[in-house]
Formats: sequence, structure tokens, C-alpha cells
Amino acid sequence: MTRWISCACVLIAMTWTAPHRAAAHHSFGAEYDANKPVMITGVLTEIDWRSPHTFFFVNVTDNDGKVANWKFEGYPPTVLSRLGWKKDTTMKPGDRITVSGWRARDGSNWAHSREITLADGRKLMFGPPAGTGDGGSAPAVDVR
Amino acid sequence: MKRYVVAGALMVVSLIPAVAFAQPGSVVPRTPDGKPDLTGVWQGGSTVRGSWDDANSGLGVGGSGKNPDAPAVVGSNERPAGREGAPYQDWAAKKVLESFNKRGIDDPTALCLPPGVPRSVILGLFPQKIVQTPKEIVVLYEYMHTFRMIPLNAKHPDDLLASYMGDSIGHWEGDTLVVDVTGFNDKTWLAGTGTFHSEALHITERYTRVDRDRIDYEATMDDPKVFTKPWRLTSTLMLREGARVQEYVCAENNLDPANFEKLLKEGAQITR
Repeated sequence: MTRWISCACVLIAMTWTAPHRAAAHHSFGAEYDANKPVMITGVLTEIDWRSPHTFFFVNVTDNDGKVANWKFEGYPPTVLSRLGWKKDTTMKPGDRITVSGWRARDGSNWAHSREITLADGRKLMFGPPAGTGDGGSAPAVDVR
Repeated sequence: MKRYVVAGALMVVSLIPAVAFAQPGSVVPRTPDGKPDLTGVWQGGSTVRGSWDDANSGLGVGGSGKNPDAPAVVGSNERPAGREGAPYQDWAAKKVLESFNKRGIDDPTALCLPPGVPRSVILGLFPQKIVQTPKEIVVLYEYMHTFRMIPLNAKHPDDLLASYMGDSIGHWEGDTLVVDVTGFNDKTWLAGTGTFHSEALHITERYTRVDRDRIDYEATMDDPKVFTKPWRLTSTLMLREGARVQEYVCAENNLDPANFEKLLKEGAQITR
């Protein structure tokens, strides 16, 4: 297990800090742990372009040849379209991609995505910064 | 002669700041009746001029990474720096904090419900389109696919049913559109995690197009059942020429409530 984690397939990028800000919407901060950044390289198996959030799946192969399928959550299709994504064009099943994001709180092969490096080296955002939707660093009321 | 030259030079110098700070194309567009024309596609919560791409680079809303220095647009359920604390009564403030400490898993929009006012106006991830006519102004929000109709110089109906987006009527005070909103249910958050309200909520909004690119927005929220005094907040809407309001059907595949339930059941540490 230790070997699997330490392989190049999965890098827990502890030095990659994330700003605690940005969009609106369902609480990514509740489902995902901002203290568990993840970076994965693998082969895209499926993209589910639906609202309120798009999902995609990536096969990651470890040094022993064992394959694990990871699930990533991201922005809805309309937001992605404004970021330059084109459905079924920008990224297709079979493409080798690198994804950065943060792991789900249950520790499974599930994470929310932030940036994707495409097969041709281009980088595009696919999901919000860590903690989005969880209320940020200060409540709306002053704590008395 | 020399005196005139000096005076002229001083006049030119005195004009420099105004020229330097004037925004290109900063003339406010007007309708044939002389009112400021608010028609256009706008992004809430931003102060950056330019296209959607220009303004949302870097770490901003979904940043493209083209400009890592582009400022982030603060989310509608976060408290922007400098905003005063919402003036909730003590019991109500505790309820707001409970939602904050639960990281907003009780956010009504997690159930795909309409976000209400002013949240729909001040959020920046999705665009909103204002369509202005002499008698009525219509706002179309991509987020949750909602709309508001704002008849001008009209009265609220006597038989209002409580609603998520409320009932809006508007009038012009000089160059400012003033919108009176009432008839709310108690199922939305106003501007931040847990910022609930009662059906007594009454909002006065003010929209002032200060130049070609920018509308200054102000919302004063009055709800004597939960506040100690009216809560006033300000924000900005920025023109996003070329951006389109598209279809967003949240109920299509909403997995978040089930995810929250699963994580809580399995004992995941969600709360702060």
C-alpha cells in the first residue's frame, strides 16, 4: 500500500496549498478535505456532463499493474463551457491526463478536481478551489 | 501672455487625474426615454472589467490559469473581507453559526432550490441577464434557472403567495433603479452560509449603472423577526459582453444530499 501511494501514479501533494475562496454552490468543503490535496495521472474512462456537477473517471495503474478507477467531481457544463471546455472534444475517454484536486472525506478513490493537464500539455480548470461552498473563513455573523 | 500660458498649463495638469481615471467607453448607455439602460449580461460579485475570460482567469471563478493574478470572486455563501457582520438577534446568530460549523450542508441550494435574493444577484459563478423595457425589467439568472419580473411604478399584488424569489416592483429615482421585494417564503439564504430569514423579509435593492461596465448594487434587508436592525450590503455587477445565459438544470443529477448523508453515516468529520 505504501509503495502504491509513493508511486508516480498518485502524488499527495502536501506542499500544494489552496486558497479558500471562490464560487457559490453546494458545499464542496463538506464532502472534500482541503487538507488532503491529490494529484493523479491516468487514463480517462468516462465523463458525465451533467448538472449540477460534472463527474469524470480516471483509471490509475500502480507499479504492480493494478488498476484503480478514481471518481472526480467538477463544475457544471455551463461553467466549463465558459472556461474553454468543449464537450467530447477537449478531453475524451482514452486520453492520458493529470488531475489535481482534493480527496473526499471518506478516503475512497473519490476527489474533487481543480486543474487538469490534458494530453497535449494544456492546463484547464475543471473545478473550484478547496473549501468552496463551506462558508469560508468567517461566518456571516460576528461571534459574540 | 506668460500668465495665460501658466494658467493654461495648470488647467491641463488639473485635468490629468480625471483623464487618467476615466474608464474607456465609460458613458452610461441610455434608453430612448433617457433612463440608464441596464440591459446586458452581467456577473455579480466582481469588480474586474472585460470579458468573462478576461475577468475570470487565475484563481477567480473557475480561473483559466491565463492570469494567476486575477482576483478571485468571492462566493455567495462566503463573507467578503470588510463586510459588517449580519445583525441577527442572538438566538438567530446562533442558528447562523450552526450552519457555518456544519460547512453549509444544510444549504437550500444543495437541494436545487431557488437561491433567493440577494444571493442570486451577488454570486459570480453564473451570469445573469437584465432585459429592460419602459414598463418592466426582467432578470434571467442562469443559476438554478430562475427569473424575476420587475414591473415599474406598479403595486405588489394583494394575493401574494410566499415564494423563493419574492415579488418585485421597481421605480426610478434619478439614475438609480429602486426595487422593492416582498412576499418571500423562509426557505432561502440571503448572503452567506446560514443567513436564514422569515417570511417577514422585505428587501430594497438599488441598481446604479455608474459607467458602461459597472452597476453598483445595494441591498437593504429588513426582517424584524430575525434582525436587530436592517442589514445593508453592497456589491457590484460587471458587464460581460459575449457571455450567454445558458440552461442549468440542477435537479438533473444532484448527488450531494446523498453524499452528505453517506459521509455523516460513515462518521466522516465534516463539522469545523
